[in-house]
Amino acid sequence: MAKKKHKKKAFEIRWKTDLPYKYSMGKLSVKFFKVLKEERKLLGSKCPKCGKVHFPPRAVCAECLVLMTLDDMVEVPSVGTLVGFTVVNYPFVDPQTGGMRPFPYGYGLFQLDGVDTYTMHFINEKEVKNMQIGQRVSAVFKDKDEMEGNLGDIPYFEIIEEE
Amino acid sequence: MSQDNEKIYRGRIKVPYSHTAGKYVKKFLVEIGKNDRIMGVKCPNCGKVYVPPKMICFECFKKMDEWVEVGKQGVVKGFTVVTHSTPVMPLEPPFGYGIIRLDGADTDFVHIIKEGDPSKLNVGMRVEAVFKDRRQKKVTDIEYFKPL
Amino acid sequence: MAKNEVGIVGIGQTKFTSKRRDVNIPEMIYEAVDMALDDAHLEPNDIDAILIGNMDHFEGINFSEMWCGIDAAPGYLKPVVKVATGGTTGSSLGIAGYYNVASGIYDKVLVVGWEKLNEGGATTGIITAFDPVWERPSLAGALGPLALMANMYMNKYNVSPETAAMVTVKNRGNAANNPFAHLQMPDIDLDYVMNSQMISYPLRLNDCCPQSEGACAVIYANEQEARKIRDNPAWFHSVATAHYYAYGCDDVMFDLPTATIASKKAYKKAGIKDPIKDLDVAEVYEPTSWAELSWTEALGFAEKGKGGDLIKEGITQMGGELPVNPSGGVLSTNPIGATALLRIAEAAIQVMGRGDKRQVPDVEKALGMGFGGSLWTELVILGNEPLR
Repeated sequence: MAKKKHKKKAFEIRWKTDLPYKYSMGKLSVKFFKVLKEERKLLGSKCPKCGKVHFPPRAVCAECLVLMTLDDMVEVPSVGTLVGFTVVNYPFVDPQTGGMRPFPYGYGLFQLDGVDTYTMHFINEKEVKNMQIGQRVSAVFKDKDEMEGNLGDIPYFEIIEEE
Repeated sequence: MSQDNEKIYRGRIKVPYSHTAGKYVKKFLVEIGKNDRIMGVKCPNCGKVYVPPKMICFECFKKMDEWVEVGKQGVVKGFTVVTHSTPVMPLEPPFGYGIIRLDGADTDFVHIIKEGDPSKLNVGMRVEAVFKDRRQKKVTDIEYFKPL
Repeated sequence: MAKNEVGIVGIGQTKFTSKRRDVNIPEMIYEAVDMALDDAHLEPNDIDAILIGNMDHFEGINFSEMWCGIDAAPGYLKPVVKVATGGTTGSSLGIAGYYNVASGIYDKVLVVGWEKLNEGGATTGIITAFDPVWERPSLAGALGPLALMANMYMNKYNVSPETAAMVTVKNRGNAANNPFAHLQMPDIDLDYVMNSQMISYPLRLNDCCPQSEGACAVIYANEQEARKIRDNPAWFHSVATAHYYAYGCDDVMFDLPTATIASKKAYKKAGIKDPIKDLDVAEVYEPTSWAELSWTEALGFAEKGKGGDLIKEGITQMGGELPVNPSGGVLSTNPIGATALLRIAEAAIQVMGRGDKRQVPDVEKALGMGFGGSLWTELVILGNEPLR
């Protein structure tokens, strides 16, 4: 973007960060992505005290302050219900790439069957009129050889017909 | 963002920024670019000359409006030589990095000293600012300081 | 048990705009600090400690307490601590300032919230505040989840978009009485909102808050010092904070349970039984128009689903029983690190009787609210006399 100094007082210093990070994922997340790739299944974590099933899986149940380990991971279905939806329609820079995230894109809140927490993720719908609260949705996985071991392996959820 | 090590998620944070420099920084850079001189500001209360210039003298909490020219030469108060490399280094190592008190200033200025051999640097030595040929209105218009 | 009564004795704010190209960060903050010191007739050295806060991700500068607490505020050789809690930064600052003086450790504390939001980008910055593995890939800043919350509220209670638009009309119209507000619109009407572009269903552009730059500074003092400074400090009656889950979407939360939890705590301590009757004015944190509808319900002003009636019946309009956001609220001014502190500062201005054109008559008790992060709520109740 060329800088035009048509206003004398607009003196700006522009720069772009490009910082590499190595985030430790934790044992539960590592297992989650491994099982997703090898068995095409989703795992959550279940609190041994209150029984609440958490998705995404995490190590601590917030209400009980109890540790959940690999043994507390349970399979969760990859289908659920649409609880809220929107179509994001404004430009912004995606900090992971430094470039604009393509829009519009569908974004929704789902509750997977049997899970006590909710999940926000992409939906492959760009028209509000095609979405309705209460519809059934299903997670879509990438092909096994394309999976990279991150959330992109579930590129989006799609709306499915009720049986 | 792919991970070759299972236990680590390699992420990046890339965000574009555009910072407003403010009048004081602007004048500082314009004086270097157009008039080949380094300017500081003087506190009306304690008389301290700040280089680089800023609006408030933090000891007196007063606004400073009096601009003074400081010399292009100064004294090294401390130095180091950077010899290791990381992805975010400004230059290829080895390069010297020093705390410089310019003649007439009461605060110190941190910048690059063009000398990669630590045995040739010492506290108290004099250095001189070398300006870039093509000025870009950045603090790197002072490209480096050279030992005298 | 608090050791001291705490009063707000000085307030300063900059005129909020979308881009302050004439000043850099410390210079901008200094404007608010200078105004607050002047307002309290204090010298820089009278301040014992400074609390300063913003959301680092927006400016990309992480050590700001170093030069904002020193170059912009009288922090040289004094304790300076940064508080950064996302959207609640301002109210966390406001509450931390209270703790510092109530504890008896400091007599006079300066609290500064600021943001130079357009140096980075708000949505981009907010995304970096979330979990890199699970949330960043799809999160659309704050507006994505807020849109989902509006979608659920609208669906559950059958509330029309026009009802939400009335909130923007009320707040940006109120902002015309506030010389500091960013978006002041004395002639605003429903069409202005309903004709604006849909940016994330059901949020239209004018259902959402702007991105502003500016700073707000507030000076606190214990009772002994406060009474020397002025005869009308704004006294703290109660503060309350409620947090919730780790991931922003762990619970449905469009009805902000944290606001209900925090309000019960705050009302009990301040002796408030019926907020509409016992409070005289409320500064509510409303990042979108829909948020004011459902969160005034969460604060106990109306039953679930009836938030719209508060506006339609004039209860929360200027002149009503409980005006909400006479300053214009977040929909008119949003420098994120300062926004929640502005709610407390504006509540204080109302209690002190200094609101000029935006003053609500006879204010004895006022509420200030902060919201942010993983849907936290922070509340402050101020009064024109100490609570004994």
